[in-house]
Amino acid sequence: MSNPLVRAIETIGAVFRFTLQLGRCILTGPRYFRETIRVMELLARRCLVPVGLAVAPVAGVIALQGVQAFREYGVEGLLSSMLATSILRQYSPTLASIMVAAQAGSSIAARIGTMKVRGQIDALAVMSVDPLRYVVVPGLIACMVVTPLLNVIATFLGIVSGWFFAVPVAGINDGAFFDNLYSQVSPLDLWIGMGKCAFYGAGVGLIAGYVGMATSGGAAGVGRAANRTVVYTIILILVADFVIGTLLLNQGL
Amino acid sequence: MGEIRTWVVESLAMVRDFAVFMRRALRAQMRPPPFGELVRHASDAGVGSVLLVTVLITFTGMGLTVQGYSAFAKFGGEDMLGAFVGIGGVRELYPVMAGIIVGARIGANLAANLATMQISEQVEALEVMGVDPMHFLVAPRLWAVTLMVPVLCAYAIAIGLGASYFAAVAQLDLNGGTFIDQLRANVQWSDLAAGVLKGLVFGWLVACIACFHGYSAKKRDGAEGVGIATNRSIVQAAVACIVFNMILSAIMYI
Repeated sequence: MSNPLVRAIETIGAVFRFTLQLGRCILTGPRYFRETIRVMELLARRCLVPVGLAVAPVAGVIALQGVQAFREYGVEGLLSSMLATSILRQYSPTLASIMVAAQAGSSIAARIGTMKVRGQIDALAVMSVDPLRYVVVPGLIACMVVTPLLNVIATFLGIVSGWFFAVPVAGINDGAFFDNLYSQVSPLDLWIGMGKCAFYGAGVGLIAGYVGMATSGGAAGVGRAANRTVVYTIILILVADFVIGTLLLNQGL
Repeated sequence: MGEIRTWVVESLAMVRDFAVFMRRALRAQMRPPPFGELVRHASDAGVGSVLLVTVLITFTGMGLTVQGYSAFAKFGGEDMLGAFVGIGGVRELYPVMAGIIVGARIGANLAANLATMQISEQVEALEVMGVDPMHFLVAPRLWAVTLMVPVLCAYAIAIGLGASYFAAVAQLDLNGGTFIDQLRANVQWSDLAAGVLKGLVFGWLVACIACFHGYSAKKRDGAEGVGIATNRSIVQAAVACIVFNMILSAIMYI
């Protein structure tokens, strides 16, 4: 047991089994639609402000920094195509997912952890309500659906903020900004961002559920669960982001 | 509309409480903190984060390079990759990522830790013994994180540039010499100083936000209160890093 390698393999196996169990729960009933809708609404409301506050400033910084770099080569009109591509494909999905992990992931893990510590999870099982179906699956589905929707709003806010810092603040020509914006962006970019978000959202729900259900050790354990969820999810998002970026580049997309 | 109004009122109340806490924390920081505690927290925050920062920044740097390349290749601007990766990484991305990582790992830890102490009445016990909890608990944590984050930032910049070089040469088959020349031409010592200076600001902000939420956890909330404190401190620390980064960059560029 003390061997870290053995423990790592054990954890991977446990997560795999947990994923399969959740898959079976989603495919077969009973399903708790009302609970799912409630969690979705709660997540959307709670995450909207953090997601917007994360993506918009970053887009502004890219615009400011891009103006400096592009001006040296005298091609500052091209700024908007670089800005739009990197926001649509990269920054908006990644940052939106990281903020969903920070807000929704940690609160889901803390909620499940609190229920576990107080014995409410066992109480559900005694009442013959499967805690996986009633507590974990709604969180998973909600994260998977809400993250791409938040990403759309975040992308829009990001482009508006990029425009604000490029055109009125840094003095780029308004017409050139919009011409290059439309010429380089295709619906494919948005779909790639949405797909990434759905994938990362599922990761958030899965990790939050697993870590939350494994909580032990009272109030301090709840804090640890919330903390671990965020750390693990950020690792997953950044590693997956690099792998997906490489795959897309190799496919020529 | 009533809901939005309560939300605004509550947020403003939180900002006010935070301002009061910030003043108390600054005053507590002015006296020399207990040295043993300071060393313990500094090694926890600094040495404990090295592995996480290494892994995450490696992938961030490689990702930045690959993404930057695919964005620039569309209009034949591959020559600008070094400038983009160098300045963007050193001045913006790596310090912010270091701040977010420290917020998620150390900040959340501090918040959970202090909140647990608060709900199990350990803080009150300290007060009864005549020990000022702001000085004994909060000040060493603040000092430790504030001093460690700039060091982690410098480390993150080194790792990130290495990862960018690796991705450019090994994965994208660019010429390594050209890439280094571009970095040399575009990244000045002042950029490095700006990145590390940002780390100092982010470190203090993250630690202060985390201590605020941990310290103001309510005893009646029990275990749930620890979860709330952790959650809020992670989210607000990340948002604070990103927003302050924009403000600092805007001041530096304009």
